[in-house]
Amino acid sequence: MADNPADADLIDLSHTTPLISYLQEIWVRREFAIVVPINDMRAQNMDTALGQLWHLMNPIMLISVYYVIFGVVLDTTRGVDNFLGFLVIGVLLFQLTQRVIQESAASIRRNEFLIRSIRFPRALLPISAVVGQTVAFLPSLLVLFIFVLATGETFSPRWLLLPLVLIAQASFGLGAAFIIARIGFAVGDVQQILPHLFRLLFYMSGVLFSVDAFITSTAMQRLFALNPMYDIITVARWSLMDLAVPKESIIGLVLWALVLPVVGLLYFRANEHRYGA
Amino acid sequence: MTNRTVIIASDVHVVYRVYEDSKSGVKQLFSRGQTKRNFRLIQAVNGISFKLSEGESLGVIGSNGSGKSTLLMALTGLLPLESGSIKVRSRPTLLAVNAALRHGTSGRRNIIIGGLALGMSKREIEGKMDEICAFAELEEFIDLPMRAYSSGMRARLSFAIATAHQPEILLIDEALAVGDARFKEKSAARINKIRSQAGAVILVSHDTAEVARSCDRTLWIEKGELKADGPTDEVIALYQAATHLAG
Repeated sequence: MADNPADADLIDLSHTTPLISYLQEIWVRREFAIVVPINDMRAQNMDTALGQLWHLMNPIMLISVYYVIFGVVLDTTRGVDNFLGFLVIGVLLFQLTQRVIQESAASIRRNEFLIRSIRFPRALLPISAVVGQTVAFLPSLLVLFIFVLATGETFSPRWLLLPLVLIAQASFGLGAAFIIARIGFAVGDVQQILPHLFRLLFYMSGVLFSVDAFITSTAMQRLFALNPMYDIITVARWSLMDLAVPKESIIGLVLWALVLPVVGLLYFRANEHRYGA
Repeated sequence: MTNRTVIIASDVHVVYRVYEDSKSGVKQLFSRGQTKRNFRLIQAVNGISFKLSEGESLGVIGSNGSGKSTLLMALTGLLPLESGSIKVRSRPTLLAVNAALRHGTSGRRNIIIGGLALGMSKREIEGKMDEICAFAELEEFIDLPMRAYSSGMRARLSFAIATAHQPEILLIDEALAVGDARFKEKSAARINKIRSQAGAVILVSHDTAEVARSCDRTLWIEKGELKADGPTDEVIALYQAATHLAG
């Protein structure tokens, strides 16, 4: 086949897109990652009697169960003035990241047919999972504010830090989503293991009790600061409640939020051509 | 004026690795190269070359398992080649939007979802909403959930979405075999329109009447190899003679 100079500008399909075009393409298709998860979320409670109200009822019921068991029956309220407020922030923020990660783990396998028929940056699938769960979290955020205000916390300028905490949490979640999406694609068993891992992490993140009150060794507390879930919850509590400045956790959270998305995206993309194959 | 080349496929080989009883994929997590597992090689496309110019509509025929669908997948860039190369002027769009559509969601929302999946912007899709509904003949049903649609209605909707944004190179895999005779005519007319607007179309089908209706040039593929490439009527005659001899 003779080489025609006019054909020099043809694209070779086997060439991988450079990272910058990959990012550009994600940006161009950003509406896909917003419209589709929101659509799926709305469709979720379509067949229930209370419909969209469940988005409010679920977090309230979850909090009630934990409060009865840990606040009333077992009484782990040692070292916490406003246990209910403390519990609400911990439980709901933990749940957000848990859902982001569990949803991402399934994102590639669930969209196998889409991957096989349409070409798009596969990173859009974990991104969609993060967007969807974050939007689904908004009613929980409302519940969170209501509980925090109702339990006697008053507004302080520190509250304005909460959006930053949530952005950092989303950023960490996105990085984790990229990593878990690749792992979940390769090893289906991950979806079975994750709930147990999260249960373990739940108890190691001080969701139900004050780590400061139960663990006194400074070395041990530093170790807790390595746990991103603990950092998120601790910094969020500090911003909404009258607590001591959690220096280690602030540094920990900033680092997780800056590093993990970059590492995650690179790790996810290194396997790009294999998804769906 | 000579038409520009839009696809050059040179000596394309596609090999499927079918893994036997795949073990856990833990190894795959830490490697960029191929990991070793027991697999069987299936030579699906075995050294096919052709060129396609703008304004052409190319049919691809062959018996089941001849490799014609695999060739089409390779042209989307979704399937890695074993060897050879495919060069394209713009990335071909496979007429396959079904995978993106949600059965619990209305036709109208699905038009948006499908369009976004194909890379259109929301504004662009909303501008074409009425035209898509009209082409799919679904105006009065467009706000019903898609699960209430018949298979013909679903097929019409996905055809209308996938062809709404005038892809430069459109790939179709037996998609026209759905719908009634009248809708087939309409689809063929739309394919002709895409082709006339400096696009190119590749249609894979084992229905020779289908190919004869829409394509002026045809490839005949058997066992992953190119048996004939030429004007549709001649290639179909060769194909039919061979299948009749064999049968």
